[in-house]
Amino acid sequence: MFDKKHIPHLLMVFPFLALFAVFFLYPIVSGFVYSFYDWNATTTSRFVGLANYQRIVHSRDFSKAMWNLGSYIIITVPVGIAVAFCLALLVDSFKGFWQNFFRSIFFMPVVLPMFLAATIWRWIYTPNIGLLNTTRGFFGLPSVQFLNDTSTMLYSLIAVDVWVSAGFNMVIILAGMKNIPRQYYEAARLDGASKLQEIFYITIPMLYPVLFFVTTYGVISALQVFDTPWLLTGSSFSQYGGRQNALLFPVMDMMGRGFGELKFGQAAAYGFILTTVIVSVTAVMFALRKKGHQP
Amino acid sequence: MISTRYMHAACALALATAATISGARAQEPVTLEYWVYSDFAQGEALKLQQAFIEEFRKTHPNVTINISGKGDDDLTTGQVTGAASGNLPDVFMNGVNVGATLVEAGVLKNIYAEFMAMPKEYRQSFDPALIAMCSPKPETMYCLPYTGYGSFMFRNLTVLKDAGVDAAAPIKDWADWLSQMEKVKASGKYAVPDQTQAWQSIVDTYSGVATPDEWGADFETKKTKVNEAKYAQTLQMFVDMQPYTSGTSRNDQATKDLFISNQLAFHLVGPWVNPTYAEAAKTSGLKYDYVLVPGKAEGDYGGIKGYEFIGVAPNKNAQVAFEFAAYVTAKEQMLRWAKLLSRYNASAAAMADPSVASDPLIAITNKAAANAIDGMPPYFKGAYPNCYRSILTDNAQTVADGGVTPQDGAKELVEELNECLAGG
Repeated sequence: MFDKKHIPHLLMVFPFLALFAVFFLYPIVSGFVYSFYDWNATTTSRFVGLANYQRIVHSRDFSKAMWNLGSYIIITVPVGIAVAFCLALLVDSFKGFWQNFFRSIFFMPVVLPMFLAATIWRWIYTPNIGLLNTTRGFFGLPSVQFLNDTSTMLYSLIAVDVWVSAGFNMVIILAGMKNIPRQYYEAARLDGASKLQEIFYITIPMLYPVLFFVTTYGVISALQVFDTPWLLTGSSFSQYGGRQNALLFPVMDMMGRGFGELKFGQAAAYGFILTTVIVSVTAVMFALRKKGHQP
Repeated sequence: MISTRYMHAACALALATAATISGARAQEPVTLEYWVYSDFAQGEALKLQQAFIEEFRKTHPNVTINISGKGDDDLTTGQVTGAASGNLPDVFMNGVNVGATLVEAGVLKNIYAEFMAMPKEYRQSFDPALIAMCSPKPETMYCLPYTGYGSFMFRNLTVLKDAGVDAAAPIKDWADWLSQMEKVKASGKYAVPDQTQAWQSIVDTYSGVATPDEWGADFETKKTKVNEAKYAQTLQMFVDMQPYTSGTSRNDQATKDLFISNQLAFHLVGPWVNPTYAEAAKTSGLKYDYVLVPGKAEGDYGGIKGYEFIGVAPNKNAQVAFEFAAYVTAKEQMLRWAKLLSRYNASAAAMADPSVASDPLIAITNKAAANAIDGMPPYFKGAYPNCYRSILTDNAQTVADGGVTPQDGAKELVEELNECLAGG
């Protein structure tokens, strides 16, 4: 039964609930409804059942985008975390001013606007006169078309992504490292453990919850990848994904269908397919973690 | 021939009449939101746009006009979402390539009645083909044509000289052009940007062998008009060009950087790049010129053309918004606009004026537009699905990379474009 003593509490959470309902729940519900309609945002919508979902799933761009996404996640998440972990170890090995200095330097790409970061990297990747190709030329190596060769484009994107995200993950991992009791390391050293053994037998196991967080966060972010490939390929709503769609990802495809073709029903359906994938992957990760914790 | 002064007076009279007809409402304070391309909202272009606004306000003191610059995607997105939310800008620019999309979204008012109410001199000041472009069916007109372009080819004279190419001799045909590319590559430089990366570049090349009626789509039959045999020749050209390309698209900043730093011989693009190259000529000694895009056979030329337009939203300010659009597109303003930017525009009367006809950039754009193929015709009739453009680029890239032969590629292209148009 409803207890009157909860009224003040409910009143206190009401502003949040109202805003949450208007700006979060309503768009989700209306988006879900529109995913069953043929709708261009201005004219009368037409119910089409599951046609939007069928059209998306059977489209060649969807297959390509999902393939790219899978390849991207498999590489970028572990590489990104490994780089962040190494940076955290490096920063942790310094003390005082130098620790703050390197932490700030490595964190800088995180605060850089993505547009600026992509512009810098487009210049770095420029054939012949870009930083990387000038360096290669210095060693007598031929110029590489990093953003136009389908065999290098994904790795070029991953390099930028790792560069941008490593600082954030490093700060989280570093905070986790600071919470590991120092006596574990002292005991290990007394037992003759090497630095590598300390990392594998103390640091990594003790960081398990932190690594789980950065992995989950990394996977969810990677599933929604959009701005970096969009900017690196100079995409627009009418043309996106780069050479042979080598950098086409689901959110780009969704945006193109919505704002490029005014197929907002399809875009909404795409959003729900993607949401389902994200929720499923996250649920599986949490389930695996729970299973791993059970005796 | 009626003098400019008479034409101006007639325009002013028509606008004044329209304003009077508007009655008491005309005296109410009105604020127009005016969206323009971002490069028209900065520097000298912005000053001239603001001058147009101030001049218009002398006859319409109750009207305030807020000008905002937007990127290409922002213009379209803002107009579509504005139509959905009932918050459209009153008068705005956009490109004809998205015209059909805007019509579908209800962004554009049919201004046929307003246009026909204007003096004959005003109506006849436009290129008739462009008025036809804005009028997809009888008694329907969705835009006032504004600026336009025909693509041509910038040539880096230093790169050509270093490669032993005589830039004074015109490029005869594709074979001659390829031999120049080979020499450029042999000298350690790039010849052209990757012509398969942007659909506009593909049209640039295809138009060197095809006629205007062999491009675009028939939205009634849902079939592409691409000529398979001629497209196979274009694909063969992409295969032949592939070893000489820079790997950058015509729109990349890197392409301009390569050209300015004497690493790239040819850049096929529109006249908007010229200010960058002119500045580089002053500051870093860049030596360049521009010529028409070579065609497959001697005497044929390639190139793509496109137009920007001014549209009016179907809202309560539509009448005064049209009056402002008509003021901006009158010959006198179009002439000032062309002189300032050295840019070709839709006013045939302004383009015929000796003061702009002699401008070399406008002259080459005029010639280029005469030879070029329209980007995504027919305009304002059917919206091209995104798959159309991605199929074009994917197909050209697959063939250029050696994935399939040009003949098979052209056959696949036609099939895939037809499937795409049919909604597959």
